[in-house]
Amino acid sequence: MENAEGADPSSPEWSSPAQGPAESTPPQVPGAGQGQLLYHEETIDLGGDEFGSEENEPVSEDSSHFGDKLNEHLMESVLISDSPSNSEDDAGDPGCLQDVMEPAGGTAGPTLEDVIDKGALDTPSDDVGSDGEDTPRDVSDVTPDSRASLKEDPEQEEVEDLPASESGGAGASGPGAGEAPPGGVAAGACPRQPPPRDEPVPVCTIFSQPQPAGSQPPSLRDGFESQMVKSPSFSGASEAAPRTPPQVVQPSPSLSKFFGDTASTNSLASDFFDSFTTSTFISVSNPNAGSSVPENLSSLAATPGAENSPGSASYSPGMERSESGISTASLEIPQSPKPFSQIQAVFAGSEDPFATALSMSEMDRRNDAWLPGEATRKVLISVATQQYSTVFVDKEDLTMPGLKFDNIQGDAVKDLMLRFLGEKAAAKRQVLSASSVEQSLVGLKQLISCRNWRAAVDLCGRLLTAHGQGYGKSGLPTSHTADSLQLWFVRLALLVKLGLFQNAEMEFEPFGNLDQPDLYYEYYPHVYPGRRGSMVPFSMRILHAELQQYLGNPQESLDRLHRVKAVCSKILANLQQGLAEDGSASSLSQENRQASIQLWRSRLGRVMCSMANCLLLMKDYVLAVDAYRSVIQHHPEQEPQLLSCIGRIFLQIGDIKTAEKYFQDVEKVTQKLDGLQGKIMVLMNRAFLHLGQNNFAEAHRFFTEILRIEPTNAVANNNAAVCLLYLGRLKASLRQLEAMVQQDPRHYLHESVLFNLTTMYELESSRSLQKKQALLEAVASKEGDCFNTQCLKLA
Amino acid sequence: MMRLTKPTLFTNIPVTCEEKDLPGDLFNQLMRDDPSTVNGAEILMLGEMLTLPQNFGNIFLGETFSSYISVHNDSNQVVKDILVKADLQTSSQRLNLSASNSAVAELKPDCCIDDVIHHEVKEIGTHILVCAVSYTTQGGEKMYFRKFFKFQVLKPLDVKTKFYNAESDLSSVTDEVFLEAQIQNITTSPMFMEKVSLEPSIMYNVAELNSVNQAGECVTTFGSRAYLQPMDTRQYLYCLKPKKEFAEKAGIIKGVTVIGKLDIVWKTNLGERGRLQTSQLQRMAPGYGDVRLSLEAIPDTVNLEEPFHITCKITNCSSERTMDLVLEMCNTNSIHWCGISGRQLGKLHPSSSLCLALTLLSSVQGLQSVSGLRLTDTFLKRTYEYDDIAQVCVVSSAIKVES
Repeated sequence: MENAEGADPSSPEWSSPAQGPAESTPPQVPGAGQGQLLYHEETIDLGGDEFGSEENEPVSEDSSHFGDKLNEHLMESVLISDSPSNSEDDAGDPGCLQDVMEPAGGTAGPTLEDVIDKGALDTPSDDVGSDGEDTPRDVSDVTPDSRASLKEDPEQEEVEDLPASESGGAGASGPGAGEAPPGGVAAGACPRQPPPRDEPVPVCTIFSQPQPAGSQPPSLRDGFESQMVKSPSFSGASEAAPRTPPQVVQPSPSLSKFFGDTASTNSLASDFFDSFTTSTFISVSNPNAGSSVPENLSSLAATPGAENSPGSASYSPGMERSESGISTASLEIPQSPKPFSQIQAVFAGSEDPFATALSMSEMDRRNDAWLPGEATRKVLISVATQQYSTVFVDKEDLTMPGLKFDNIQGDAVKDLMLRFLGEKAAAKRQVLSASSVEQSLVGLKQLISCRNWRAAVDLCGRLLTAHGQGYGKSGLPTSHTADSLQLWFVRLALLVKLGLFQNAEMEFEPFGNLDQPDLYYEYYPHVYPGRRGSMVPFSMRILHAELQQYLGNPQESLDRLHRVKAVCSKILANLQQGLAEDGSASSLSQENRQASIQLWRSRLGRVMCSMANCLLLMKDYVLAVDAYRSVIQHHPEQEPQLLSCIGRIFLQIGDIKTAEKYFQDVEKVTQKLDGLQGKIMVLMNRAFLHLGQNNFAEAHRFFTEILRIEPTNAVANNNAAVCLLYLGRLKASLRQLEAMVQQDPRHYLHESVLFNLTTMYELESSRSLQKKQALLEAVASKEGDCFNTQCLKLA
Repeated sequence: MMRLTKPTLFTNIPVTCEEKDLPGDLFNQLMRDDPSTVNGAEILMLGEMLTLPQNFGNIFLGETFSSYISVHNDSNQVVKDILVKADLQTSSQRLNLSASNSAVAELKPDCCIDDVIHHEVKEIGTHILVCAVSYTTQGGEKMYFRKFFKFQVLKPLDVKTKFYNAESDLSSVTDEVFLEAQIQNITTSPMFMEKVSLEPSIMYNVAELNSVNQAGECVTTFGSRAYLQPMDTRQYLYCLKPKKEFAEKAGIIKGVTVIGKLDIVWKTNLGERGRLQTSQLQRMAPGYGDVRLSLEAIPDTVNLEEPFHITCKITNCSSERTMDLVLEMCNTNSIHWCGISGRQLGKLHPSSSLCLALTLLSSVQGLQSVSGLRLTDTFLKRTYEYDDIAQVCVVSSAIKVES
């Protein structure tokens, strides 16, 4: 402590910048920022304060010595004088630095990789505008521009936040209002709302919930009850609303469109389901499906038109009952027709349906295997053992999803074009919308692959509406099929890909932890006789877990991933002990067992990789590195990539030496496999290492060398250009990036490349806007509606 | 002007599906087509694509401030004799950072003059980068303009030190000094400590105690965690021994001495480097004053609410004064003294000592500090306080205390 007292007396201190002009300010700085930047001399009495507060100072000097000798608790604050190159005696007094720093230090929270520290950002630009008396003209000319460029980021951030928070708070209305251009596509959004009664509902045959049930006598021997009936076209408007108020109030006009629409597209939806359900239902052909019930129903299914005028009277009692508990028997029965109609198709098509069915069921079992939680398992057992009586399941244990917003369409690119290029140019922008493709899986795939993800989300929504899980259906009883869950998966995955995490979270919510009994095949013994396992795609579990990390809850992500991992490990253990996936005794053929083991190993590897990613996001680098290393065991073929990734992590932390060690390991591994890819990887790593050593020239050389081997390598191209900038060659850097984008816009119009390009445009000239607009045009002609326009920095 | 912090690596959001899922290979194909993913391992979040810094960011003392300065001719006229000057105005000085001070003969439309400047930041607080450009238009008119960029330099580290003196007996002190330094990362990004060393002053030799020898290899005591997360603190320990020639002249070591200074080198994102030194660390060589109290015996673990004994040794360190001492014992929240407070200890001659057995009990579980001893010299009416003289672990009596 003595030291602190000694060091500080009256050393000149810059405390806060707002303290009044100092005489010493050099004249050249023309009043730089009227009182913003001032230098001020101040005598600081640091020592007394600092130690007084920390230390419980003893009254007598002697005892303080004593404290010295034994364990004193206090640490002294040491003044960091400066960097070593400064001479020692001007050792500034560090104590008050603390004050100075506080504002800035406080603002910066833990940041995601790209997050902007607004606090720091503001400072450079703030007073630029106000100073410069000497050259008023020039400066004022220049400053607004520079200021604009500097401030762009926060603005962008706001923009980004906006839709998110809206949607988070207000439910569906937010995103719908904010992002979707009103009208247009919305009209076509819900093909599935035929006017009640007079319209035959062919749709229903696909899902086959409502019609047969309505016609069933309420109490058959097998517990038929009509309550679960829920025609997609009916229940929403007429019954649901009064009974269970929708969770989210939806003022959007689209709701009426939703219900007022014609049924003209119904048949398309049914096509859609047919197109990919066939395989899923084949297992039905197993003979154990031969209960009397389905047989009765099969005739019903054959004549859906005749059966499907379900009186609303028969609905209401059902709905009432469903409030408290739901009869599973009634749930499954309405569905039974479906497999039978499918069977016919199957039989018609394949020569040896029985064999096919067997092999399919092997695959189904392998893929769908899952270990339910204890409570769920009990419910499933009781369903299995009491086929003909009613099993009551608490409503809370059922999955009742529904769209939370019915239209997220919108095309940010077009909006920007309208703003910057005018209506005429914007009119040229053509992207596929949900209505402009076939209302089927084919159309969906088309939308996804041409990167119109927003439209694809929409189309998923329509198809789900057809299934009775449309807008406002959340919280209403429904039944699930493998297909409906696949649709949900696609929709949610696309939302995540679009960065609409809050939206995805809202729609994921009714699925709980993906372990509710009605998400298992066993819950529907009549629809899926003999089939076991979960309908939830494995990838959806991963998505469900990963979503949380993007919402800022990485810990929750980790928890969920660990649960998934535990099940994977257990299933693997079962398989290795000669049991079936779910632990039941079974005689799997060797071949099947191996295939199963392989599948579940790769799934385990997938989970581990997600964990590693999550840990990286949490900036827990040590654990992340460990996790990536363990992934290597599951994906040995990815070893060089994983090692390189670990190396880059160390580079990011600043630990160049360890990074180098990992890069050397990569070189050893890739020596064995000689191939272009290995070579590129080695060169790439060397380039990164030089970056870490601040040697941009060498880094550039290695990136360029990659381009010699593989001229189309986007990463090397971009990175070489970045190096050029650091070498002071802005124009050359721009030329390289521009050439790259022109050469193959389909491939290179990537967010990161465009971001670099626009950043350099801003640096190059105060007239960057034109060039950015040119980029916008390029984007408009190539990119789908999922394009993230922020990287153009036009906002 | 653009500050050139190191570029960052682009991260993507991997979304995959399995072949049997509805999109089939579609999602995976999309990820393969995305140039920012890692070829062959698309699930990895951390890509290889470099992205330029998106904002000015924070700059910390000891780091190098790098900046790109580009003067672009936006007009359609050729201008001549362009002189670009970049000065950094700090609180105490003004530095010229331009690489060259010679004028460029001419600048055609849409061309630019580029300069990358570097400066190691040595002061905290407000800095202003002043870019001044003068040129001559085609009409021969002399033009001049300036731009200002202001930024704050922040403190990256918090360093605290503590000295421990190795003891021998009585008032003499061995010459070894241990220095404990706590270094805290007060930035917002992880920081890799590349080097933390103590540069001793001429009087001392230093031994670093931050690694252990394991199987012939030097392993740092910090484990695999080579970096400091924001707000993390790490402790370094050094042992200092006076050099022989100084050790003999014990007088020099007494009082305030300069020990040396800490030299700290760290790296952050992609090898962005920073370096700082502390000011000279000073230390007051210990003296024990007139009366010294040391512990002879104390149990390490005691039962809750059961008396235990300690033995203290009181030494008169004064040169020639015989002392008459009164012992007082003050209870603290957890430690209660048993016995009479304010009793006379009798005369204590210079350089002699007496042992004192004391009884106390604790009413609180856990690690408790023994405090509250007061010795009063009746002649000088001076009170010496002894707090935190030792710690005992207090456990519930239900648990059997081993040994």
